[in-house]
Amino acid sequence: MRLAFGGYRGGFWWYMAAGLALLLAFAGIGLFRGSVPLDGRDVLAVLARHLLPGQHGPADPRVDAIVWSLRAPRVVVAAMVGGCLALAGAQMQGLFRNPLASPGIVGTSTGAAAGAVFALTFGLAGSFLLAAPLFAVAGALLSLLIVTRIATRDGYTPVTTLLLAGVALNALLAAFNSWLIARSWEQYEAARRIAYWMMGGVTDRGWVHVGMVLPGMVIGCAMAVWFARDLDLLLEGEEVAASLGVDIERAKRAVLWSAAILTGSAVAVSGVVGFVGLVVPHLVRLLLGPGHRRLLPAAFLTGAWFVVGADLLARTLAAPEEVFLGVVTAFVGAPFFLFLLVRHESEVAVSR
Amino acid sequence: MTEAMDSARRAPRLELVDGGVERRGRWLLRDVDLAIEPAMLTSVVGPNGAGKSTLLRLLSGTWRLTEGKALLGGFDLAALPRRQAARRVAYVPQTVRPTFEFTVREFVTLGRYPHESRLFGTRSADRGWIDRCLDDTDVLALAERRVTTLSGGELQRVLMARCLATEAEVLLLDEPTSNLDLAHGLDLLGLARNLVDEGRSVVLVLHDLNAAARFADRVAVLDGGALIAEGPPAEVLNPDLLRRVFRVEAVPLEGSAAPVFDFEPLR
Repeated sequence: MRLAFGGYRGGFWWYMAAGLALLLAFAGIGLFRGSVPLDGRDVLAVLARHLLPGQHGPADPRVDAIVWSLRAPRVVVAAMVGGCLALAGAQMQGLFRNPLASPGIVGTSTGAAAGAVFALTFGLAGSFLLAAPLFAVAGALLSLLIVTRIATRDGYTPVTTLLLAGVALNALLAAFNSWLIARSWEQYEAARRIAYWMMGGVTDRGWVHVGMVLPGMVIGCAMAVWFARDLDLLLEGEEVAASLGVDIERAKRAVLWSAAILTGSAVAVSGVVGFVGLVVPHLVRLLLGPGHRRLLPAAFLTGAWFVVGADLLARTLAAPEEVFLGVVTAFVGAPFFLFLLVRHESEVAVSR
Repeated sequence: MTEAMDSARRAPRLELVDGGVERRGRWLLRDVDLAIEPAMLTSVVGPNGAGKSTLLRLLSGTWRLTEGKALLGGFDLAALPRRQAARRVAYVPQTVRPTFEFTVREFVTLGRYPHESRLFGTRSADRGWIDRCLDDTDVLALAERRVTTLSGGELQRVLMARCLATEAEVLLLDEPTSNLDLAHGLDLLGLARNLVDEGRSVVLVLHDLNAAARFADRVAVLDGGALIAEGPPAEVLNPDLLRRVFRVEAVPLEGSAAPVFDFEPLR
C-alpha cells in the first residue's frame, strides 16, 4: 500500500503537494461558501484587500465581516487544530510503539478538557475570554507533569508505566469532568457551554483563537522536528536506541512535552475533536512508511486538510444547523479506521 | 569492505572494572574484571542465565552499573555522551522481531544515527556505505523489502549490517548466529574475524563452544553472574571446566589445532 511512485522520497513530495492542494481547495470552499450566499467577486476583493500589499480599496463591510472575521479564522483554526492533533498523535504512536495510541494517551487531552470545564463551571470563562483556553493548556501540561512524576524512578521513565499512569489519570479526570458537569446542570447556560465544548468544534472562532494556538503550535512543531529521528530509533526499543546513540530519557521527555503542548493548544480552542490524532497518523504511516522525518510533516498537513474538510461537512450536512465537528471527525474517522483495520489486519496488529 | 575499513582507527580498549549490576534485588553480574583488548575476538560463553547478555549491556553502556566502572579507552563510559559512545561501541541485542515497516535500507540507515545531522539527516555519501554494509552481510538483494517480512536468519544479517553501518570500533554481538544456517553462520564468524584482523574488537556471545574455540582469540566463561575464567581458548576450555560450568562430558577430538570437543551428557 506504500506509495511507490518515484521511489519513497518522490512519493513523499507528491503526497505533500496533493495534501497542500486539498488544503487550499477546502479552505477556498470554506471561504466562498457559507450560510450567507455571497458573490465570489466580493469575497475575492476582501481577500485581496487583506492579503495583498497595497490593496486598500473599499469593500462591503458586511462581506468583509463575514469573510474576514468569521470564515477565514474558522478555516485557519481548523487547519491548525487538525495539524497539531495529527502531529501529536504520530508522536505518541511512535513513542509508545503502538499504532493505536492517541495524542491524549498520557492524559493530556482529558487534562486540557478538565481545565476548560473548570473555567467554564466556575464562571471564569464568562469574566474573561482567554480563561478557558489558558486553563486548558495548563490542564494538559499539569497532567503530563503528574503522569511523568508518577512514572519516573531514579531518572528513568519506562513507557509502560507512563501508559498505565496515563490511563489511570484519564479515568480520574473524566470522572472529575462528569462531576463538574453534573454540578453545573442547574445553570443551563454553563452546562450548555460545557456540552458544546466537549463535543468539539471551531464555530465562531476568531483571530484571537488563531493567536492562542500559534505559539504552542510553533514550539511543539519545532521540538517535534528536532526529535523526529530519535522516534525512528525508539521504535526499535529503548535498548537499541540507546546503543545507537539516542539519549533516550531526554528524547522521551522532549517528545512528551511537545505532544502535550500541541494537544493542549488544540484542545484549548476547539474542545475535544476526536479520532484525528488516531486515524490520520495511521493512514500516513501506511502510505509513507514509519520514518518520522516524513511521517510528522505529512501527518500535520493531512490533519490540517482533514479537519478543514470535516468542518465543511459540519457546516453543510444539516444547514443551517451545524453538526459538531467532533461528531463529524468520529463519523468519518471511525469507519475509515475500521476499514483499514480489516484490510490491513497484520499491519495494525498491536505491537509487542 | 577492506578499502573503507583501512581508515578505521585501532579499536580502544574496553574494560569492566569490578563491574556489577543489581536488578530487583538480584545481582545479575558481580565482581567482573574483564578487558576487551584492541583487535581481539572475544567469545563470551556460559549456560543460560549466566549473565552473558548482561555483560554485553554493561560493556555497551546501555545499562548503568550498580558497582564498578566501564572504561572505554580509559574514560568512564557512563560519562561519555551517548552519541559519542555509539560511534565507538556498537551493540546488537538478541534478535527481536521489528513491528514497524521500515525497508531493510531504512532499517540499516538507523545505524547512521550517531553520525547524522539532526535536521538534514544522512548525507548522500552515506548511501554507498550502507550498500557496502548490506553487501558484506549478503542482504543487498533484500534492500527494498520490509523488515517485517524477513525470515529470522535474514533479519539477523540485517541487524549485523546495521551494526557495521555505525562504523564502531568495538562490536558487541549477542548470539549473532542463533538463527543462521550453517553457511551464513560461518560467513558471519569469518566477517567478524576479518574485522578483527583490520583492527577492530569483536565480542560474541556464542553457544557453540567449538565455534568459539575455533574463531576466538579469547574466551570468557560466565556462570551464575560471575566471571569464571578468561583467556585463550586452548587454556580456558578443558573438560574439567566444561563439566563444572556446562554439566557436560567433553571428549576432546584429535587432529585439530583448536580445542574441539564431542559433548555427551554427564555420566
